[in-house]
Amino acid sequence: MHEFAVAQSLVDTATVEARRAGAQRVTVIHCRIGVLRQVNSDLLNEAFSLARQGTLCEAAELRVDKAYVQASCGRCDHAYTVRDWEWRCPKCGAEAAELTGGDELLLVSIEADVADEDQGSEERLST
Amino acid sequence: MKIKVLKNVFQRNDNAARENRELLDARGVTCVNLLGGAGAGKTSLLEAVIPVLRDSLRMGVLEGDLATTKDATRVDALGVPVIQLLTDGGCHLTATLVQQGLRRLPLDGLDMLLIENVGNPICPAGFDLGEHLRISVLSVTEGDDKAAKYPLLFKDADLIVLSKCDLQPLTDFDFNTVTRDLRRINRRAEILQTQARRAIGTEALATWLLDRCRPSSAASRE
Repeated sequence: MHEFAVAQSLVDTATVEARRAGAQRVTVIHCRIGVLRQVNSDLLNEAFSLARQGTLCEAAELRVDKAYVQASCGRCDHAYTVRDWEWRCPKCGAEAAELTGGDELLLVSIEADVADEDQGSEERLST
Repeated sequence: MKIKVLKNVFQRNDNAARENRELLDARGVTCVNLLGGAGAGKTSLLEAVIPVLRDSLRMGVLEGDLATTKDATRVDALGVPVIQLLTDGGCHLTATLVQQGLRRLPLDGLDMLLIENVGNPICPAGFDLGEHLRISVLSVTEGDDKAAKYPLLFKDADLIVLSKCDLQPLTDFDFNTVTRDLRRINRRAEILQTQARRAIGTEALATWLLDRCRPSSAASRE
């Protein structure tokens, strides 16, 4: 269940970034997670709905881009996507590939509402 | 508005890990993170190598577990300083928890720190603790398909230990299959076969650790 740690970290970092930008409310959290990280999306969504409570991300939507395993052929340098654990180079058939991606765990961007003139709502949300 | 972030999700953990590594570097301590599923044989490997290395290296151990001090008690019997880190149900050690352990260890008197992670083939692999070296353990009784099923566990390992090899005849574990799968995700790690109960392969593991430790540089830094 590392999903909760992922959700908690996403909310924490998004909150820090939103505050730094003077935003009051995070609307979208956009992340990129490699399949090698073995993050289950149902569990992540569940964890996220708990982790965001009482934060600037309370109403945020979580968008996750799945990043597949990427490899570079050791023989012909061809770059390709590994699916279903099939590592052979689709171009030359070589087995010896270098892993080049698929383990990322990145907070790519957030979308946030910046403070409007209504000071009342700003105070309410920042406490 | 849209705000570009492009940061690692576990940034806070990564920051704590960097602090740990800097602290360990400053004290000349080589730190090893030992990972593997529950029952892979991690504690047995510690019990096998610590007596071999005890005279040449000053060693300390951080024992990560969900509950109980059973593992710390086993290591304590070997006469090296050990701190039990309990995650209270958490499925992996974090760099912050390790930080607490580091404060309780006599770092100035150590050459090597071994961290035994929580027995779990998935979560611990994603968390940098500030270690210099990573050893991933797979026992033959877990099955030869586990390198393909838990790739992250082996991807960043410096050494991969295939443990309980004496039990291989009782299983259908195929060394060629596991080696092929391991090589797909990690081409540089050494792969070592051990039988801790018979002290086979554990001498090689001890030598591997000794070769990567820096006791002399630690002394010269003082």
